[in-house]
Amino acid sequence: TCRVSMSMAEIRAGFTAIKANIQSRDPIRTLSILSHPHSLHKVKSSDRCCITHQLFTFYVDKVFKHCRTEDSFVNRKISSIANSFLSVRRKLGQCREQNNCVCGEESTEKFKQILANYEGLNVTSAAMKSLGELDILLDWMEKSR
Amino acid sequence: SGELYCSLPNPRNVHFESINMKNVLHWSAPEGTGDGVFYKVKYAVYGVGKWIRKPECRNINRTWCDLSSETSDYEEQYYASVKAFLNGTCSDWMETTRFNPLTDTKIDPPMVSVSSTDRSISIILTAPEKWKRSPEEESVSLLQVYPGLQYNVSVLNKKTKKRWFFSISNNTLVVPWLEPGTVYCVSAQIHVTTPVLDSGFSKEHCITTLKDK
Amino acid sequence: DALLPAPQSISILSTNMKHFLTWSPVIIQGATVRYSVEFQGEYEREYANGSWIPIPECSLTTATLCNITQDISASVAYKLRVRAELGASRSPWATTEGFFNRATTSLTPPTLRVLADGHHLLVELADMGPSFQFRVLYWRKGQESRVQQKVLEEVSSVVHLDTMEAGAEYCVKAQAHVEAINRSSSFSPTQCVRAQGDTSMWLV
Repeated sequence: TCRVSMSMAEIRAGFTAIKANIQSRDPIRTLSILSHPHSLHKVKSSDRCCITHQLFTFYVDKVFKHCRTEDSFVNRKISSIANSFLSVRRKLGQCREQNNCVCGEESTEKFKQILANYEGLNVTSAAMKSLGELDILLDWMEKSR
Repeated sequence: SGELYCSLPNPRNVHFESINMKNVLHWSAPEGTGDGVFYKVKYAVYGVGKWIRKPECRNINRTWCDLSSETSDYEEQYYASVKAFLNGTCSDWMETTRFNPLTDTKIDPPMVSVSSTDRSISIILTAPEKWKRSPEEESVSLLQVYPGLQYNVSVLNKKTKKRWFFSISNNTLVVPWLEPGTVYCVSAQIHVTTPVLDSGFSKEHCITTLKDK
Repeated sequence: DALLPAPQSISILSTNMKHFLTWSPVIIQGATVRYSVEFQGEYEREYANGSWIPIPECSLTTATLCNITQDISASVAYKLRVRAELGASRSPWATTEGFFNRATTSLTPPTLRVLADGHHLLVELADMGPSFQFRVLYWRKGQESRVQQKVLEEVSSVVHLDTMEAGAEYCVKAQAHVEAINRSSSFSPTQCVRAQGDTSMWLV
């Protein structure tokens, strides 16, 4: 198993501080990046580590850089979350290297679906929507801890 | 959808008020309108492609609508929207922000029951239940929804006015070695670390330890 | 711009997860020099083209100190920089040597007060901020091998540790722990208190 210590409370606090601002920039109610058509909550426990690593990589590589706003407070909180994600992604990467974080077919399929949802929108809308869905990821991680 | 020309001011402050995941949509009447305004309500599961009308909240003149049943899956997030009608004209649809039942609900304090002997008090705490459609439906304790749930318990010695705090994860607490014939008042709070959710403290339950035999 | 020298001796003071950037003042006779501070996390360096983020609370400040705690909020390598500003002219940036990771913050032992109230062993701990938990060790004097532990998350007032045997002496010490950097302070000095009641009673 892969045990990663992360300060969930700090990431939560950072996101909660900007949640209303970020979600108000996403006008599309009828599409979700993370939760539809397949919910994260349906992912098998054996695949959880892998999909968590894939999602942290997704946010670091694709999402945060396209979320810069005109609001300094929001930008600072995004920086805080992004640097926390980078720190956690590194630890998850170490688990992958030690083969403690195996990717099954299901997580590969699920992550493909997430990327398809993401690429279905223009990059700024997709990034802002993904950032606004951070609590979906955090809720799922806490529940499956 | 064949709607009338909408020049009526909009309903204001459309928002969810949620306690123990009883999720009720609330709003204020449009500015400057008195009686005679009627409302329609619809809701949507975030990420799912359709808005759903709430029949029980169609053409209502109150300014709330209970959507607990429609928003009971706390692994989903929701939007709700309200439209006002008056004398043949209407307002725009006015939406809530995105509602996450798991993080946006408030939690009631735990139920506290206290018993005593001459030298100790026993405290049993019960976390509130998640809202349910009917009494027959199976109860779900908020303990199951928030695995990291803990209790902060305050015990006040009414004679010395000293207050002690206990932080416990299980729901029972025995405090031995107390003074006989003394009033102790107990109140408790629920504390969830992440997401950060704290209930208020329950009202105080006072009990007198028995007199020395 | 080159006339205005960059601030010197910039350094970071970090204690108990509170982090401050300090620098020496730039002295221009008869003028009030102001300063602006920016930070850059590892994410900005590697994924955002090395961008810098301003700290509004320390923009055009006359102070030579900036509280950067709010922005140093991940356990990665950060860089800080500050420049002087006088009217329209700006000095070059002065950037911290090397990197700063909050995991290197110095942790001081908690301020602990131990009380006995009848048979009850109680502690009071000074709040050290949201990042902190407290690991409290306690034992009956003479039974040092049977140490017990409690981890306290939030400390608002008098916390009940345990009940004590009549007349016995109990000792307590505590250390602060920061989960986010997985480090603990050294222990506070040990304090001992005696439970009410007479031990000789047991000899009857």
